[in-house]
Amino acid sequence: MMFKTCSVRLVAIFTLLMSSPLIADELSAFDKMNGQLNIAGGTAHIPVMKKAARQIMGHNPKIHITIAGGGSGVGVQQVAKGLVDIGNTGRALKNKEMNLGLNSFPFAIDGVAVIIHPQNPVDDLSQQQIIEIYQGKITNWRELGGQDRQIHLFSRDEASGTRSVFSKKLLKGAQLATNANIVPSNGAMKTAVSQDMGAIGYSSVGYIDNMVKAPRYNHIMPTQEACASGEYPVVRRLYMNTKGVPNALTQAFIDYIYSEQGAKHIQASGYIALDAQP
Amino acid sequence: MSRLIGYWGRLCALFIISIMLILIGFILFKGLPTLELSLFFGDTAPLAAMMGLQPVWEGIWPACVGTLTVVLCAVSLASVPGIASGIWLASAPDKPAQKVFGLAVDILAGIPSILMGLFGFSLILLLRGSFFPQANASLLLASFCLALLILPYIACATQNALSSLPKQLSVTGAALGMTQWQVTYRLLLPQAKSGIMSGLMLAIGRAAEDTAVIMLTGAVANAGLPGGLLQRFEALPFTIFYYSAQYQSQQELNMAFGAALVLLILTSIIFALLAAIVRGRNRSKFGPVKSLIKEHIC
Amino acid sequence: MQSHKLTLKQNSWMQALLMTLVVTSGLLLFAVFCFLIWFSLPVFFTETTSVFSLKWQPEQGRFGILSMVFGTLSLAFISTSVAFIIALGLNSFSLLSRRRWLVALLRSLLRFMAAIPTVVYGLAALFLLLPLLRNGLQLGSGYSLFAAVCMLILLILPVICVMLDNITTPLWQQYALGAQALGFSPEQTYMQVILPHCRVNIGGAALLGFNRAIGDTMLPLMLAGNATQLPSGVFDAIRSLTAHIALVIATDQGGEAYNSLFASGILLLMCSACICLLSRYLMGRHRLEQPE
Repeated sequence: MMFKTCSVRLVAIFTLLMSSPLIADELSAFDKMNGQLNIAGGTAHIPVMKKAARQIMGHNPKIHITIAGGGSGVGVQQVAKGLVDIGNTGRALKNKEMNLGLNSFPFAIDGVAVIIHPQNPVDDLSQQQIIEIYQGKITNWRELGGQDRQIHLFSRDEASGTRSVFSKKLLKGAQLATNANIVPSNGAMKTAVSQDMGAIGYSSVGYIDNMVKAPRYNHIMPTQEACASGEYPVVRRLYMNTKGVPNALTQAFIDYIYSEQGAKHIQASGYIALDAQP
Repeated sequence: MSRLIGYWGRLCALFIISIMLILIGFILFKGLPTLELSLFFGDTAPLAAMMGLQPVWEGIWPACVGTLTVVLCAVSLASVPGIASGIWLASAPDKPAQKVFGLAVDILAGIPSILMGLFGFSLILLLRGSFFPQANASLLLASFCLALLILPYIACATQNALSSLPKQLSVTGAALGMTQWQVTYRLLLPQAKSGIMSGLMLAIGRAAEDTAVIMLTGAVANAGLPGGLLQRFEALPFTIFYYSAQYQSQQELNMAFGAALVLLILTSIIFALLAAIVRGRNRSKFGPVKSLIKEHIC
Repeated sequence: MQSHKLTLKQNSWMQALLMTLVVTSGLLLFAVFCFLIWFSLPVFFTETTSVFSLKWQPEQGRFGILSMVFGTLSLAFISTSVAFIIALGLNSFSLLSRRRWLVALLRSLLRFMAAIPTVVYGLAALFLLLPLLRNGLQLGSGYSLFAAVCMLILLILPVICVMLDNITTPLWQQYALGAQALGFSPEQTYMQVILPHCRVNIGGAALLGFNRAIGDTMLPLMLAGNATQLPSGVFDAIRSLTAHIALVIATDQGGEAYNSLFASGILLLMCSACICLLSRYLMGRHRLEQPE
């Protein structure tokens, strides 16, 4: 009996020892570094950034990583001005932003989907219906086959990459109704929609869990697999942006995100990892 | 007809007392169960976290330290200029220079705090464009803006405290051959000590609870312990705001309520100290009590 | 015992230090005004019309902040009026009531209310008031002018109440006995002797509350929904100027949205400064009196 427990323990320790070089490998790049790394921008990236920062700071407490949100607009603005080292965006850079000397590093595939309260019986929404809802032409869930309840619109602020992807690819540039409540991040959108039975909003597909429900879009279920295969059309990439060539600590962080450990963090957050661009 | 005011008064009193009981009770009800070590330190060992050896995730300890640091920095930046301004304002209240300065201080006591944050933001832009290209949102900037925000309170409290002292003190001092500085430093300031202390307490309370200024000048949601004057930091009011708007799990919501309770306890302690000072001043011989709340008091 | 010369030298040094500190503070305070005015100059020298219009639709190139101005004003007017009436009630209670222990309790409660952080008010409202509006009374999504007004009333009530107390207590001590001797009841004394006597000062106190209501950021940001529309009813979502600044601070420099930021800032500053001056003028006579 004791022999069995001992051998189980030995096997466990052996496996741990064998695997730790693998983990340590990707983190060992941070061994001799110290300093500050400031990250800001898209709120969809925050779960991935937090997980990575936790591992790195736990491995080397001399490194100090701060993470702020604010939306893709903040990310571009602050990294272009040099206020942060990495600016996250949930959309590709516009032309005038490219001229600011920024390098883009796409690291994940994500989608933008409509979300509603979990107890809302509506299961399927067509693109035209969503456009009319957000224009303010449809105002009651009854008109969509749901309960007799007013539709409460939720939208994001202007700096949001999620909003610009939603507006361009799903709404096709239609004008948003002015009575939409504005929330400042993906997390806030999820929280707001999960509390209100008549709410409708949109968020990153990676944020969707059992707090909210994502109805089918033109009969397609918005999942990460559908995004990766191209079946779900409203997709976007998540980018890390730096100004010019990143410094050592920033480059190490970017490499970490592209590594296997980083891919695990990306998947755990609900996104699909991309490989590093050559 | 006038009897109605009696009924209305009683109704209002009942209304206010019950509303406040409900509000405070709710915060206590939601916050007290969360008050344990894991609220502050998450799953990091408390001692290692307090020494800064290991970063704290899912805990509000960095926010507590951040708030205390920024308040301390702001008050130390603002206290000496504030007391000096108050002394100057009280020394000759009818001269035009003092009147203009008093007016500016008064207006600044009343401006929206987000304008102070906007000022900090535009300061970064200006500095980056000219002679300090490393300027960034940081603890230093946030304490500087907070110091400007609380300067009027300290100045006004000092001025009120000094001007409520009887004229005989300064006149007698001058008659005895003391210089103006000696009169101020050895006679007036010790007598006005409690007034100045209450002004400082007011300023500390204001700095601890203000969110709009630090939101724009350096507070972020995740930064660990404050790493230095030129780095970003976490703060309790911002943590409450952030997690109340976007909690993703029950644990994060608990953090918001726990942080709210901690901040409430902090400001209540400051309030109790303030009340004790005011009561002590009540018993002193010089001057009646002035109201000492966050309205402008110049 | 210091020599006379040393004392004089020390005096002049300390006076110089004092003046330096005062001048520094003065310059810094002045700098706050200057910065805000300087950065908002582009607004007035470029397209004046576009920032002062009603529609805020940045994707269509419209950056009008007037709906935000209306939001701020409606928030401030409604909350100040209601808070003023409640404050009058509380003031009369504290003067007229015979239960002095209750009055003392109420006074401490009001001062404590001023010490409570604004975010805590917002947090409590988010989880008490909003579900009530949303699910209980079915009045929209809960994020509304009404919710923000309710909490703003609680925020500015201590400000107005304390000022009212300071104004009416010395008057009461002066006139109550005489009025009673003439046959007035306590309520009549309050309504017909005290209040008319100090109505100008009371106006100043109400303006202080109005100033506080205009300047608050967190309550409108958390509770009012931030929709850029003119509210058609009290239960619609609105955006205040302060919340607008907090939300839009992250946009491009030099763009129209950025100009709207500083335009909002300068409007708030002007408004706040004017109200401050007006209330100083109205309460002026009171300020010079020492409450006995």
